[in-house]
Amino acid sequence: MRKRKILLICMAFIMMASLFAACSGGKDANTQPANTPGTTNGGNNGDGGLEPVTFTYFNFQNRAQDKMASETTIGKILQDQTGVDWKIEYLVGDAETKSGVMMAGGDYPDVIGLDGQYEKFLDAGALLPLDDLIEQHGPNIKRVYEPYFDLMRHSDGHIYILPYSANVGYIPEPDIGQGAFWIQRSVLKEFGYPFVTTLNEYFDLIRQYIQKYPTTEDGARRIGFAIYAPTGAFYTVTNASNHLAGYPNDGDVMIDMETYEAKMYAGSEWEKRWVKALNDLNAEGLFDPETFTMDQDQFIEKMTTGRLLGFFAYGWQVGEATNVLRTGPDEMRYAPLPVTFEEGIKDQYLDPPSFVANRGVALSVKAKDPVRIIQYFDNMLKEENQKLIQWGIEGENYLVDENGRFYMTKEQLDNRNDNQFKEKFGWMDFEYGWPRYGNNSVFEDGNAFAVGNQPEIFQMGLTDGDKAILEAFGAETFSGYFSEPDERPWYPAWSFTIEQGSPEQLVKKQVEELQLQYVTQMVLANPADFEGLWERYTQELSRLDIARYEQFMTEEVKKRLN
Amino acid sequence: MLRPRQEKTFFQKLWNQKALLAMSVPFLIWLFIFKYMPLWGWTMAFQDYKIARKFSEQEWIGFETFKRMLTNDHFWLVMRNTVVMSFIQIVLGFVTAITLAILLNELKNIYFKRVVQTISYLPHFISWVVAANIVTTVLASEGIINELLMKVGLIDTPIMWLLKGEYFWGIFGAAITWKELGWNTIIYLAAITMIDPSLYEAAEIDGAGRWRKIWHITLPGMKPVIVVLLIMNLGYIIESGFEPQYLLRNGTNKTYSENLDIFVLYYGMNMADYSLSTAASMFKTVVSFIFLFTANSIAKRLGESRLF
Repeated sequence: MRKRKILLICMAFIMMASLFAACSGGKDANTQPANTPGTTNGGNNGDGGLEPVTFTYFNFQNRAQDKMASETTIGKILQDQTGVDWKIEYLVGDAETKSGVMMAGGDYPDVIGLDGQYEKFLDAGALLPLDDLIEQHGPNIKRVYEPYFDLMRHSDGHIYILPYSANVGYIPEPDIGQGAFWIQRSVLKEFGYPFVTTLNEYFDLIRQYIQKYPTTEDGARRIGFAIYAPTGAFYTVTNASNHLAGYPNDGDVMIDMETYEAKMYAGSEWEKRWVKALNDLNAEGLFDPETFTMDQDQFIEKMTTGRLLGFFAYGWQVGEATNVLRTGPDEMRYAPLPVTFEEGIKDQYLDPPSFVANRGVALSVKAKDPVRIIQYFDNMLKEENQKLIQWGIEGENYLVDENGRFYMTKEQLDNRNDNQFKEKFGWMDFEYGWPRYGNNSVFEDGNAFAVGNQPEIFQMGLTDGDKAILEAFGAETFSGYFSEPDERPWYPAWSFTIEQGSPEQLVKKQVEELQLQYVTQMVLANPADFEGLWERYTQELSRLDIARYEQFMTEEVKKRLN
Repeated sequence: MLRPRQEKTFFQKLWNQKALLAMSVPFLIWLFIFKYMPLWGWTMAFQDYKIARKFSEQEWIGFETFKRMLTNDHFWLVMRNTVVMSFIQIVLGFVTAITLAILLNELKNIYFKRVVQTISYLPHFISWVVAANIVTTVLASEGIINELLMKVGLIDTPIMWLLKGEYFWGIFGAAITWKELGWNTIIYLAAITMIDPSLYEAAEIDGAGRWRKIWHITLPGMKPVIVVLLIMNLGYIIESGFEPQYLLRNGTNKTYSENLDIFVLYYGMNMADYSLSTAASMFKTVVSFIFLFTANSIAKRLGESRLF
């Protein structure tokens, strides 16, 4: 009897001991010194320092499937050059929440692909300063980024991020990758390719088409107009008023070209006009109310089934669907239109040459071997690797003619645009989200950095449908029938660094919250209730210190002008 | 003379039960580590907390954050939603589960009873993420509900259920009932099986019909379980759940769907305002405490079974 009790007590103690062990076990992993530069001797000529290592990489975009970098062709080649492999993870769900959870746990990957969380991570002291590392181990990084160093520096004088948009040379984009009012080509075809440039004309075209053909061939109801606005992308809905008024995507402000004053468009007459137009459209049953509840997949499904006649979105938001549609009948694809509120407003959908300083790649303070990572980045930025990352392997994914110009066969180009092939080859993971040349870059040999910007490729990829549109609109390229971008040295204003927790940031957030709440309500309201809701919305806005935010933005613009 | 003896008996008891005591120690330790140690994080509510600073560098600001919270309109809106949705959850949860348990108990066909039980508690085992998707699909503009209503001719254009804020509480109530109803009945069914069958026999001899038996035997027999559960649930009055609201909310129904948990998540994780979200969590704890003790003491006064 007694023995048994002793046994029980012993057991209890053993359990206790194991509990303590379990609790202290988790601590050790995080206490190793993180940013002591490693002692690898691998210079840039790869003499040793190639022992295999795997780092973790997290990207705040939902770009592709999680994988090991070495499972892709590009990742494998880069691994052979450097010995480095990556465990790649992408965002699922809400970026704001995910970043918050990371910070609260102090649980950072080695490398973070930032997409709007830069200030937040800085504030949490989660990013590693890169200046010395670049100085010592990054000749190619320096070559690409040096012209932009001043723009990249944080207010404390350090560089924490390698942005995605450091252009080396400049070539304009033939396609529209940014915002536009898109329309299904069947609609254009039906009415003889009218060059539509005002909102009324655009909606009218959709209206007429739906009256004629209310359902698709398989009997599904057609949807007139929708906007791409999954969680975290509500700015697409509100930004449209910016574009319709003839301003580019400067985020939540319009910047006057005379005085360089920044004005928030929230609550402005422009916004009212846009929301009212949507409200009328909704009353007619031509607007898709699911705009406000759809996620990315549902939106793409509406595009690819051919039910959706028109939508507003930034080209890159729906790239996946655009690629899928390429392989189908031409009428099902979409064409971009430079729509403004009225004749006489010059559209500004095309981005002026710009540098976005707060979207890019950063090393976290938890990075295991910053030197190895920087060397990997440096190797990545070599011209031949940039070619690999965008074009692939010479002779296999692209060909070179006698003048040294890069071109592709139809099959190669189809593969370059095929999502599954891209997953396998690694373009899905590597063409963006790492240190890179900006999209408009040109290689030393004169070829375009981005495949789609190479004129030969653009010409070759043109379908009869494309040609019909370009001919009707009298342009060589799709961007050719949009207005030239005016010079805006500060562009884009949405990339200004706004300190986490500052009054400006708080105002910005509160305005976004109000827009999310009221704009959706106003669009879906009974037209009779619109004015009352607008009244309430502007009242709520007037209680915020918007002037302070505008002043801050104006100052930032003026800084960049000098 | 009495007191030492009593003390002695206490220690004697302790000694006699030392094995049990030793067995409970690990759980006490678990409780301490996981429930009490994290409480030092409450200090955040009294600081202007910045995540990059060490504890020694944080700036103390007293009750400033609480002032900010209690004067924040958004907070009171969120409180309203929380309490309303909690209330819906408790009332619906109890009424439907007790009703179904009694109905199931009255069924003679054991096979049919099992089928009903299985079907009704299956949704409990799917994650809210899946369940919310089902709800969204059912309520979509081309979902089954709209299709049915249009076929019947009650409406001529689809209703966007989730885009009407005022419908949200109803949708929420229906969704949680569908998902948790079967699961909640299990404990009541167990309580019913504990009732002495001889009571029913006696009632039958006295000429009681079905309704009488339910009213005078089944329900009183379930009462202790109901009361204990009610007390526990009142402690959770301010926990109106998180997943369903989080997954079903959107810009338009925000003013009805946002509850305290989402508020905490939003300010803590998204805005990095850890002080405010900690203060809100503390508020939650305090309210839960008050409710729990009040409910318990009311039960005590009424001479009902109680928690402690």
